[in-house]
Amino acid sequence: MSNLLEVSHLTKDYGSFKLDDVSFALPGGTILGLIGENGAGKSTTIKCILNLIRRDGGDITVFGLDNLKQERAVKARIGVVLDESTFHDSLTAPQVGKILSRLYPSWDGALYQSYLEKFGLAGKKQVKAFSKGMKMKLSIAAAFSTRPQLLILDEATSGLDPVVRDEILDELLSFISDEEHAVLMSSHITSDLEKAADYIVYLHKGRVAVSGAKDELLDSYGKLVCSRSELAEVDPALLVGTRVGQFGCEALVRDRHVFARRCPGLTVDPVTLEDIMVFTVKGDAK
Amino acid sequence: MTGLIYKDFLALRGHLTTYLVFFVVYGGLCVAGVFTPSVLCGIVVLVSLITPMSTVTADDISRWNRFAIATPVCRRGVVAGKYLFTLLMVLLSTVVVAVLLGLLSLSGRSGEDPLPEMLLSTLACGGIALLMNGVTLPLLLKFGAEKARLVSMALFLLVFGSVALLGLAMDNGFVLPALPAWLAAALPGLLAIVSVGGFALSYCISQAVYAKKEF
Repeated sequence: MSNLLEVSHLTKDYGSFKLDDVSFALPGGTILGLIGENGAGKSTTIKCILNLIRRDGGDITVFGLDNLKQERAVKARIGVVLDESTFHDSLTAPQVGKILSRLYPSWDGALYQSYLEKFGLAGKKQVKAFSKGMKMKLSIAAAFSTRPQLLILDEATSGLDPVVRDEILDELLSFISDEEHAVLMSSHITSDLEKAADYIVYLHKGRVAVSGAKDELLDSYGKLVCSRSELAEVDPALLVGTRVGQFGCEALVRDRHVFARRCPGLTVDPVTLEDIMVFTVKGDAK
Repeated sequence: MTGLIYKDFLALRGHLTTYLVFFVVYGGLCVAGVFTPSVLCGIVVLVSLITPMSTVTADDISRWNRFAIATPVCRRGVVAGKYLFTLLMVLLSTVVVAVLLGLLSLSGRSGEDPLPEMLLSTLACGGIALLMNGVTLPLLLKFGAEKARLVSMALFLLVFGSVALLGLAMDNGFVLPALPAWLAAALPGLLAIVSVGGFALSYCISQAVYAKKEF
């Protein structure tokens, strides 16, 4: 299973914000979820991959090719969904297809038409009459119809109702059943990534705070729910972040198996990706 | 890249109808004798300058370029597409005006100006339109339509204001110094070289500017 995307020591300095030494790899046949709070660097990372902004350091290879030196060849095999619709308001969905068919060498018009019908976008309605969800569906239909090897989605499922989100996740899972395909997906909706992602990269303040296989992360991390006195007894090195409330305390445990050996009397619950995000931010705030 | 030009024409579809009406109305007014047909020559510059600006405005509003750069056309293709579209608009408006002038001449309503002279003026206006777009396009691509519009308008006013002032001065007895015969003969060729050369130089500048732009 070779890597379709490799990001090594990526750095981008805006002065007030710095994407700092970000590295990860995306193997074929998998979905990588890029998570993080607003302004953590998810979109900056995606923009660097797509050369929408210039990086200050690091390397990015896509399909083994440099993303800058062989930009055209790389982009011909990438489908992109950005965080907002970028199609002109006066266009209709079929017109968007005609435009994109002249931009992508591997454009599949029949597939596009089938997506338009599936998503209810096939009419002559202009983009300006579309809801936010419909605009996003149009972008997703367009991205799939480029017959890409790599799909890059930046907050693509935001604004969609749960039923459509689930449909899209099913499409993504079907897409990666081919090991030559992969998906890089940034999202705030961590539950979607829990359903679909194989790997997680959590960016916090421009750096990779947590990364790894999703199942391993969810198996390794745990959530401790205990009283204040019990929390006081725990070695802080075992914890990532804590939330102290009026009726009890919660803490993110870095390695639940080590924790179980060290503190056998305390119960550690399974975590969600959202727990990992929230408690990491809390731990960092201390 | 043809997709980008097709997109620009689609984005301009509403405006194109307006321009068509514009041509018909002004053509009608020329037939009616309200304006001299030479007024149509100026429309070449007006249309050729406004249409690329309108497409850049539409691109800015939809944030299209963020997406376009992520497609295989990349940055270079986006710039090339915009220049090709501009060139097409200059050619199209020049041809439409030339045809209108031809029709007016055939119908015997072209006034006192002979047709070859008016056609030469139309070509000259096409050259000026190329040159003016050569100045405005790098600004449009660098700063976007909102910021570059003022500069473009100022340029338009400067060129046409100067021509109007010169006309006014000549009506009041001001006489332009006569050009040497060789310069007068070479003027059309010089204008063509300056226009095409300026447009080509502008293209290179725009490519350099756009290569550094961040989205």
